[in-house]
Order: sequence, then C-alpha cells, then structure tokens
Amino acid sequence: MKLLCLGLNHETAPVEVREKFALSDHALDHETQDLIAAQDVEEGVVLSTCNRTEYYAVVNGGSGVGELEDWICKQRDYHGSREGVFYHYEAREAAEHLCRVVSGMNSMVLGETEIFGQVKKAYKRSLEAGATKAILNKLFQRAFGVGKKVRTHTKIQEGATSVAGASVELAEKVFGRLHGSSVMVIGAGDMSRKTARALQSRGASSVMVTNRSFDKAVDLAEEIGGRAVPFQGWEEELAHLDVVIAATGAPHFVVRPQHIEAVRRKRKFRPLIMVDIAVPRDIDPAVGEIEEVYLYDIDTLQGMADQARKRREEQLLLCEIIIREEIDKVTFPEMDH
Amino acid sequence: MRADQPGRAAFYWMALAFAAQLMALGWRGELRGQCPLGDLGEVCLFMAWSLTLFYLVTGTTYRLSFLGVFTAPLVILLQLIALIPGSFEKGVERVDSVDAWREAHTSLSVLSYGALALAAVAGVMFFVLNARLKAHKFGGGLVHGMPSISRLVRAMARIALLGWVILTAGIVAGLLMPEGNFSIHLMVATITWVLYAVLLGIYFVRGLPGRQLAIGLTGLFVLSLLVFLKL
Repeated sequence: MKLLCLGLNHETAPVEVREKFALSDHALDHETQDLIAAQDVEEGVVLSTCNRTEYYAVVNGGSGVGELEDWICKQRDYHGSREGVFYHYEAREAAEHLCRVVSGMNSMVLGETEIFGQVKKAYKRSLEAGATKAILNKLFQRAFGVGKKVRTHTKIQEGATSVAGASVELAEKVFGRLHGSSVMVIGAGDMSRKTARALQSRGASSVMVTNRSFDKAVDLAEEIGGRAVPFQGWEEELAHLDVVIAATGAPHFVVRPQHIEAVRRKRKFRPLIMVDIAVPRDIDPAVGEIEEVYLYDIDTLQGMADQARKRREEQLLLCEIIIREEIDKVTFPEMDH
Repeated sequence: MRADQPGRAAFYWMALAFAAQLMALGWRGELRGQCPLGDLGEVCLFMAWSLTLFYLVTGTTYRLSFLGVFTAPLVILLQLIALIPGSFEKGVERVDSVDAWREAHTSLSVLSYGALALAAVAGVMFFVLNARLKAHKFGGGLVHGMPSISRLVRAMARIALLGWVILTAGIVAGLLMPEGNFSIHLMVATITWVLYAVLLGIYFVRGLPGRQLAIGLTGLFVLSLLVFLKL
C-alpha cells in the first residue's frame, strides 16, 4: 500500500486553473465517494479551499501519482497544461506536507490559522462518509496534533501580516479589548472595508462610514452592518469615537488638528487611535502631536506587517524540526518508505 | 498567553516576598507591642509590604501582573534601605499601652502611600508605553507584555483613588489623636491629600489626558515622599 498526496495551490497554479479544481461542500462529498470507488484506492480525503485542492489517498497495486493525476484531470474535465501545475508527495513526504498545510506553513498568508479548521472539516466529511480507514485516520490525527504543537511552541502565527491586521493590533495596544468600541471609516474603498471588517471581527460594535459620495458610504455601511454619515457632518461624530480609519482619495488633508481640538473636552481626553491608510495622506501629521491621539500612517502599518512576516519566516526552521520529530515518532507500517 | 508568562512569574515571586515581609513585620510588631513603624527599617519594610499587597490585589483585579516588572525594583530598593545597618533599632522596648488613633493613623498613612506609590509606578509604565506608541516603536517584549493604554489610565486613577481614600482615613485618625492636632507632619499629609483630591477630581469630572495624569501622580508621589523624608 502506498500513501499519496497530489494537489495544486496558489504557488503552482494560476486562479483560472485553481477554480477548475475547486469543489463546493456538496461536490466534495461526491468527489470523495468517486475517489474511493476508483480502482486501487483504499482510502481518500479531498481538501478544497480557495487557494488549494489536495487529494490524499492510500492506494494499492501498481497505481501511483500518474494514475491519480489522470483520474483527477478526467474528473474535473481539465485538458490544459499540467506542467508545474501539480505537486505530489509519497509516504513520509506526504505526511510531512500535510503537517505543513495544517500548521499554516504552506498558506498564502504564512501561519494563518483558518486552514487548520478547513483540513479538520475535510477530514471529518471523509470520515463520516467512510472514506478513511486506519492509515489516513492515524495520519490526520497526528497532523492535527503536530499543527497544535507548532502553533504552541513557535511564533508562526504571531503578529499581523496585513495592513488591516496591523491596524487592529495597534488599536488593541491602545484600548485592550475592542468590544464596544466605536469606529469611523472615512472613505468607502476596499482598504476601508477590510480594516473595518478586521476591527469588527475583534469586537468593534459601532461602525460609521462617511464618504464624499454618500451613496457609496451607504453601500459600504449596509455591507458591513454599519451606519452611513453624511460627509458634511462627520466631525460631529468625533466626540464618541475610539478609532478613525481614513482612506479617501482626497489630494489634501481631510482631518486636521482643529477637528480634534474642538472635541477634546467633550471626549474627556479619552485616547483616540487614527489610522491613515491613504496616499496622499488624509490626516495632518500634526494631529499625532495631540496628547491622547495615536496616529499611524500606511508606512508604519506596512512596516509592522513586513516585520511580522519576516518573524514568521524565521520560525519556519523551528517548525520543520518539530514536524520531523513528530513524524519520526510515528511508524506507518502500512506505508512504503 | 505567551505575553502573560513574565507577569505570572512576577506575581508568584511577589506573593513569596509578601509572605516574608509579613513574617518580619509580625516579629517586629511582637517586639514593640504596637504597629511596627518606629524606625527607618520598619517604615521601609511596611511600605514595601503595602506596595506588594496592592500589587497583588490590583494585579489580579486589573490584570496588571506585568506591573511587577516595575514594582519589584521599588520593593527591592525599600528592602535594601531597611537592610542598611542601624535601620532597625536594637533592643526595642515593648510598650505597655497603645493609642488606637495613633496606631490607625500611622498604619493607614503608610498603607495609603503603598497605593499611591503603585499608582506612580503605573504612571511610569504609562510613560514608557505611551512614548513607544507615539514614536511608532513596537518591538521588544516590554511593549508586547504591557497592558493597554486605556487599562493603564484606568488603573492609575483607581489605585490613586484607593490610596486617597485610605489617606483620608489616616488623616482623620491623625486628627483624633490626643496630641496630634495640627502637627507639621499632619499638615503636610493634609496638603498632599488636597493635591491628590484636586488631581483626581479633575480627572473624574473634567477628564485629563493620560500623560498629564501620569505626570501628576508620579510628580505628587515623589514630591510628598521628599517632603516626608525631610521631616
């Protein structure tokens, strides 16, 4: 018997190829059933996320990766070039690869945690469908244990690796928990949406959106469950805010020191975090000189994200050591090494 | 969780120090037959004990265990002063009777200074974190392990308020002492009390930027300590 892993991801295949192989939950169940019904396949797990589709299979007889690749392309009706699109691993290498995937080491955003749940879900579906037996059950259980150990014993998931994430990290440094905090987004573009969503995901309860074009503000406010505020009256809301995100396309400063000075007393001098992700900048740097204001621009946030990515990359070697040690502890007598 | 670890270790060490201080104070109190605040060594020890006590209490309540990193050096300094030869009187005589108001005045006053010292320590923490956040310097474990700016401001104000309430009780007890009315010592304590009342009043009623509160609390504590040392 042989353990195989065959897949494609964001590093090997462009989006137009990845989307051919992406599977919905419903299609995933059918694909798993078809996989284990295929000749020589004893066990199978199919994983499909936005950035990867992977097949884990235990095969016997003379079948190998070539046969599995042909079968998958036929299933997905794929006739394009296969050169460099697929990667494959066998036996121990397949086990190590799964551990890397579960640990977020193979993800587009290094160290992201969502993949752990996605793999767990894929495995559970296969388990419930009766598509896994001794080898894949043992392999996946071990991989989940390794994933947890990697996250506990390394800093692979520490620090925000995006501008939106860095904004949240800074807001938490000033306010601690963001539960109940009020946010205003000035500008209704994509960065505003991402940052507002990131703050909401950490507990920000009240989000206001203002934009020169009020319709766009309404659209974004509806999308994120916030409230649109006319651009002419945004300053009045300052007294109640904790976080201001500015991301407009204005060629001049939108927020000036006098806007803050006017509401300081009313705010009882509470801390205010201001994140300027616009170029040219929306917030006058002089605003940052006000005692209770913490002002950060795109360069600071990008620098934080870059440093976090670098720190995560430095952890890769430690993660590999953990994976090797953990896989060494397991013997897969059924696998060809 | 990683960020909590240094704070947790500090918490256990401080708890151990607290137990040791309590034993030493108990022994001195037994020798004197009254509150052990009769010499420099005892005052320093009592101060270190009250500082540790408030650290342990507020550390749990406001999750400010990292405060230990800043509190511990102050406790060590006080205990080192207490260890200077001559700080503890030898052959102290056990008193026959004690004045309850005097005992209450001295112990409550020193206890309040423990809280006010801790508020000043939180103020120093605020300065460090505020300066780093303002300068966009986020590296290093110090910033990573510190409480948030908002939490530090709340902690400063609440601990100082607690200290002020205890100081109030200490001053009232002092006024009720048979021979205590209007001594210079009591007057300075009352001026300190008024200044803290003004600062806290401004903060709670009108509001105050965190930095100004921190300056006020550390400045007032250092000033009052210097005045008391002169006396």
